[in-house]
Amino acid sequence: MSLPSPFTLSLLTIVVLSLLGLPIGLAMVGGSVLYLFAAGLDVGTAAEQILNGMMTSYLLLAIPLFILAAEFMNAGSIMDRLVRFCNALVGRFRGGLALVNVAQSIVFASMSGSALADAAGAGKIMQNLMTREGKYTRGFAAALTAVSATIGPILPPSIPLVVYSLVSDASVGYLFLAGVVPGLLIGAVQMALIVAVGKRRKFPVEAKVPVSEIPRVTREAFPALLMPIILFTCLYSGITTPTEAAAVAAAYALLIAGGLYRSVSPSGIYRSLLGSARTSVSIGMLIAGAMAYNYVITVENIPKTVSAILTATDLSQTGFLMLVNVILLVLGCLLEGTTIILVILPVLLPTATALGIDPVHFGVMAVTNIMFGLVTPPYGLLLFMMTKVANVSLREITREVMPFLGVMFIALMIITYVPNAVLFLPRLFGYSG
Amino acid sequence: MDSLIRTVAGWVQRRAENVIAVLLGIMFTAFVTQIVFRYFLNLPTGWSTETVVICWLWLVLLGTALALKEKDEIRFDILTSVAGPRVRRVMALIVSVATVALFGLSLPATYKYVAFMKVEKSSYLNIRLDWLYSIYVVFVLAIILRYLWLLWEGLRGEPPSEQAMDEGRVR
Repeated sequence: MSLPSPFTLSLLTIVVLSLLGLPIGLAMVGGSVLYLFAAGLDVGTAAEQILNGMMTSYLLLAIPLFILAAEFMNAGSIMDRLVRFCNALVGRFRGGLALVNVAQSIVFASMSGSALADAAGAGKIMQNLMTREGKYTRGFAAALTAVSATIGPILPPSIPLVVYSLVSDASVGYLFLAGVVPGLLIGAVQMALIVAVGKRRKFPVEAKVPVSEIPRVTREAFPALLMPIILFTCLYSGITTPTEAAAVAAAYALLIAGGLYRSVSPSGIYRSLLGSARTSVSIGMLIAGAMAYNYVITVENIPKTVSAILTATDLSQTGFLMLVNVILLVLGCLLEGTTIILVILPVLLPTATALGIDPVHFGVMAVTNIMFGLVTPPYGLLLFMMTKVANVSLREITREVMPFLGVMFIALMIITYVPNAVLFLPRLFGYSG
Repeated sequence: MDSLIRTVAGWVQRRAENVIAVLLGIMFTAFVTQIVFRYFLNLPTGWSTETVVICWLWLVLLGTALALKEKDEIRFDILTSVAGPRVRRVMALIVSVATVALFGLSLPATYKYVAFMKVEKSSYLNIRLDWLYSIYVVFVLAIILRYLWLLWEGLRGEPPSEQAMDEGRVR
């Protein structure tokens, strides 16, 4: 038997070391080093790729800033105000709190870019509200919190879409716009399901917030609700770069949490900085590792090879998209989302382009797909997280998640096979794709 | 000896936490300054972008090397979370040997690359790139030391703590 090629060797190393528990970023650095060594290239290239990559990827700076914005929002009392606002809107219907859960995910999505952060912050609050006085079973509340958290990273601002923009060169602004309809669509099908089963399952109705109260509740939440508008104005009027828009978002969050609501202290600011720094470091290391390994992938010409193989099989656009759906759902069970975007999507992208699939559409569809991977049993990070937050068994949460996955699957099909649904909004704003 | 190492490591880790929080604070402040200067005072600032990029580089590498706890790291734990203590110990041993070997292998060439970059300077702040990039050497050294320590713990038969593994899964 001949020795495996340096590429196979490096890929195996990464997979095995990650499986054994080495952080994925470090495993990719290790795999790149091994490849360079085995191929007889300069081993220092790994460092060169990472250092130069980090120094030139200006766009990536949006990630720590969006994380910081979400952290400021979580630290302040902004969440409570948003929940009260959502309750005033949809609490009066059957399954009120369940609808509030989805609604707050949509509203809060405009401030955070991470599904896990949504579930950990806002999700925890919703879980407690829903299960108080036994209104909903813990399993249902946990399942709903998990599935509604997937909306956040699809609606702007979205960290996964920023990362995708880095590997695809598609514009962040158009990607964000393209995420709007899919994000709302997923929220809508989740709400539809709640309404549909609400009567049979005897979901409770919340005490009506009198109409005269609505202006007050709205006024209290108004500064927070203004956030998406500010963000969009910054991005689409060309006032700021996407990275600067992220800084504006963070500054605005700090301003309303600290200045207006007076709910953030200096030590609170430090805690927010440290918490965001920690999250940024772990995502940043993953990206750094991918920068090193993407060099290997480029040297080996993997995307071209994959494209050649796939186009040789006479794959149609629909066939390819279906293949991508399946690949991403399976990988979503195994890999962390950012890793998939950084390593797998660049391999698939040339084929998509060759088949005439729009890169913005492809990105939004891929990110949606990856988010669904987070809540697909048997292995989904969000499900695991909710079993801990809500203290329910995986079996219970799995049973409750299935109907939601059913309707979300329909939404995914629309997002995948009706490109116009995704591209309609960016085109309205001048996207020519 | 062990407790001394633990104390020192704990101290270093807490100071590194202070540093990464401050680095992110600088990034945020520099960005806000940049926006104010450019749009309100009409004074473009080249230095701010460079400051932010440098902070980001140091944040990630220094953070990974010294500040991050096990539960903060993004890892794949479908196997580690179901394995028993003995299997987990063997897994930890393999990981630490491989990591020490691979990062050790890269150290000489990495040092050479970073040292060579003394010929270049950053465009606005005029900082020699070998200084800026030195954090990568620190990163490689710290990773080697960290995994040597895990190797040592593993050889003495202390399985990685249950809780750290458990919390890691959430990430």
